[in-house]
Amino acid sequence: MFNYLLKRLISTIPVLIGISLLLFFMLRMLPGDPAQVLAGQMATPEEIENIRRQLGLDRPIYEQYAVYMSRLVRFDLGRSARTQNPVIDEIWARLPNTVLLAVVAIALACLFGIPAGIISAVRPYSWLDYLVTMSALFGISMPVFWLGLMLVVLFSVILKWLPAGGTGSWQHVILPSITLAAFVVAFIARMTRSTMLETLSQDFTTTARSKGLKEQVVIVKHALKNALIPIITVVGLQFGLLLGGAVLTETVFAWPGLGRLIVDSILARDYPMIQGAILLFGLLYIFVNLVVDFIYAFVDPRIRYD
Amino acid sequence: MKDTSLNARNLIFLSILIAVLGLGICPVNAQAEIKELIIGIGIDADTLLPYDQTTTLMQNMADLIYDSFFFQDPEGELHPRLATEYEVSADGLTYTIHLRKGVKFSDGTDFNADAVKNAWDNIFDPKARVPLRFAVGMVQACEKIDDYTVALKLKYPFAPLAPTISMSLVSPISPAALEKYGENIRENPVGAGPYILDKWVKGDRIEMVRNENYWGPKPTVAKIIWKIVPEAATREAMLRAGQIHICYKPLPSNVAALKADPNVTVEMPLDTRTIFMGLNCQKGVTTNKKVRHAFNYAVDKKAIVDKILFGTAEPMDGPVSPKVFGHFKMDHQYEYNPEKAKQLLKEANFDFSKTVQMRTPQGRYLFDRQVSEAIQAYLQAIGVKAELRTYDWPTYVAGLLKPIEESELEVFLLGWGPLILDADMGLYGQFTCEVNPPKGLGSAFYCNPEYDQIMKASREEQNPEKRLELLKKASELVWADAPWMWLHVEKFVIAYSSKIKGMVVTPTEKFYPHYITMQ
Repeated sequence: MFNYLLKRLISTIPVLIGISLLLFFMLRMLPGDPAQVLAGQMATPEEIENIRRQLGLDRPIYEQYAVYMSRLVRFDLGRSARTQNPVIDEIWARLPNTVLLAVVAIALACLFGIPAGIISAVRPYSWLDYLVTMSALFGISMPVFWLGLMLVVLFSVILKWLPAGGTGSWQHVILPSITLAAFVVAFIARMTRSTMLETLSQDFTTTARSKGLKEQVVIVKHALKNALIPIITVVGLQFGLLLGGAVLTETVFAWPGLGRLIVDSILARDYPMIQGAILLFGLLYIFVNLVVDFIYAFVDPRIRYD
Repeated sequence: MKDTSLNARNLIFLSILIAVLGLGICPVNAQAEIKELIIGIGIDADTLLPYDQTTTLMQNMADLIYDSFFFQDPEGELHPRLATEYEVSADGLTYTIHLRKGVKFSDGTDFNADAVKNAWDNIFDPKARVPLRFAVGMVQACEKIDDYTVALKLKYPFAPLAPTISMSLVSPISPAALEKYGENIRENPVGAGPYILDKWVKGDRIEMVRNENYWGPKPTVAKIIWKIVPEAATREAMLRAGQIHICYKPLPSNVAALKADPNVTVEMPLDTRTIFMGLNCQKGVTTNKKVRHAFNYAVDKKAIVDKILFGTAEPMDGPVSPKVFGHFKMDHQYEYNPEKAKQLLKEANFDFSKTVQMRTPQGRYLFDRQVSEAIQAYLQAIGVKAELRTYDWPTYVAGLLKPIEESELEVFLLGWGPLILDADMGLYGQFTCEVNPPKGLGSAFYCNPEYDQIMKASREEQNPEKRLELLKKASELVWADAPWMWLHVEKFVIAYSSKIKGMVVTPTEKFYPHYITMQ
């Protein structure tokens, strides 16, 4: 197990180098000059050149990359071109919010999605199944932006129960996490339904039933346990995506997370900030996948990483 | 003998008089204090260093922290602040500024000529990032005369200098704080304004508390929270739900609904920002003046303002906003007349087989893409084939700044918002040969030596009446040459709780809430 972990950790290094390389050159291929954006519409060419020099953008591109990489190996992500603060400080200021929202949303999604999928699979083609399937379809098709605004109108403007946006208390987390979870819950419910339908029709389930086991035990201990692997995969992937920033939800609910930071940085062509944040996402995604792999082994003893 | 003693009637009258006068002259600190004012805004500040930012909203915040030499009110009148008065030398090259005595920065440092000189030296420092340096590019030095007097030495005469130095760009910063914080001054602003930065939670909110040692009248609001809410619809919802007091720039499409709400006050003064379709005067089909006139007649600007912008703009009636000094409504207006447009194109031997290339940014100005699409349709209605391309802002600006040899611009949408209430930044900053790309953003490549001469003279002229004449002449010239399709002047929309009274809103997209009262 330890060797496997070590191997996986070592394998992240070329992945991160690959991300940084691709990102660095792709960003610079984008049209638009960061110095011009920073200087504003009315600045003189001299001022734009001055800013370009300060950002080091007047140097050859290979030199810029060398400087960037030499800083990166010292865990220095540089300073934001826009705010001139260290990139790591800007990211740290927002990362806890992003993680909090992602964790609450994924927990809500699992809490409702898995039972809904099970119910739907146990009673296929019943009104309950149709209800779950239709709700899942509704959840997937509904634009996050629209749902968020409708929740704001209902719970903040009309009922005045919850804050419309911002952070500061547990009440602030409710609406954005429900909005985010609505999309993920649909995914999880659909995946649970299809994998449960498959396992429920397999021989080991029939054997369990013929042994006279209670239906709940058959469903939870035998069918669900075997159906969990694809569900965990979906949950892991969705969690990774949520960590990557839920831009629309963050925008609607004024949630100060990483998604908005990235979008603002892209619009301002803030290279150091985009590079730092995307690299962090890469790292988080790798980490989530690693955790998912270990959960596989925990859920299914046949999976070993020796 | 007439009885002069106070009878009951006189006593009541006197009491009422005292009460009324008392309210009028009552110092603000005697008014009810507002503990907290929450303002919903769309973006977080990148920096609060006055000379390092370009966004009006951040300049607005900086004004509260730093204060300015003068304050230009919504009518364009200058009021003394950190400077009490100024004199101009006969040659227009020296401005002597008298500073207010007894003022301290919020960290206790004295405000004096040394601090002012220090602030100007920072701006002159070529290594410093000063995006708006061009706006004070005419000042070459700041000299200390005595502890409370400085002289600004100019490279060339510049008549609107006093309003120019009312911008937060040149606001003095505490020299002690500059030394203490160094580069980190961006996040630790210390000025002589009515507020002090208390907390800055990145991406979430900026909190300011009242500067209890402010030299001026004590603000009524003890704490201002700038709450970052990027989505305008959420800001409006928060205003309606009572979670914020002021909603900065609500959606134009919702202005009518907000106005109908008795709990909300909507202010929308005309802005200095003009929105136009630039027409390349040196390349392509629009080099012909008749074509430029035809395009102006082809578009129903009133319909665009009413139907697309929901009345949050007004059609242009001169080359600059009506809110600036030097604006004149032109005698001849390009009223919507598609038949006349077609006739002009015929006279110009316009090649209808050619496709005119149109460009527009998206999300930079109010409904910019939709406005461009409407104009595309208007041009097509007079038989002109037009192709519209949309770009994000950085890509768009890169295209605008190319020199004429490389420029692919024909017809393009852009906005221009002078920072002070004077026509110079509009007329000089867009139409002189000097600002043709790549040197400036005069991307219509309008270049007329006669016009340049008039504008230069207007900068040298200290007599306001004579200066107005020159600005009128320049306006008439450029209006007739039509390097733009003259579209509209935006309005600055701000909505706030109807309990708030006494808000000051300016045409430069700023608002000052610190002396408001709340019922």
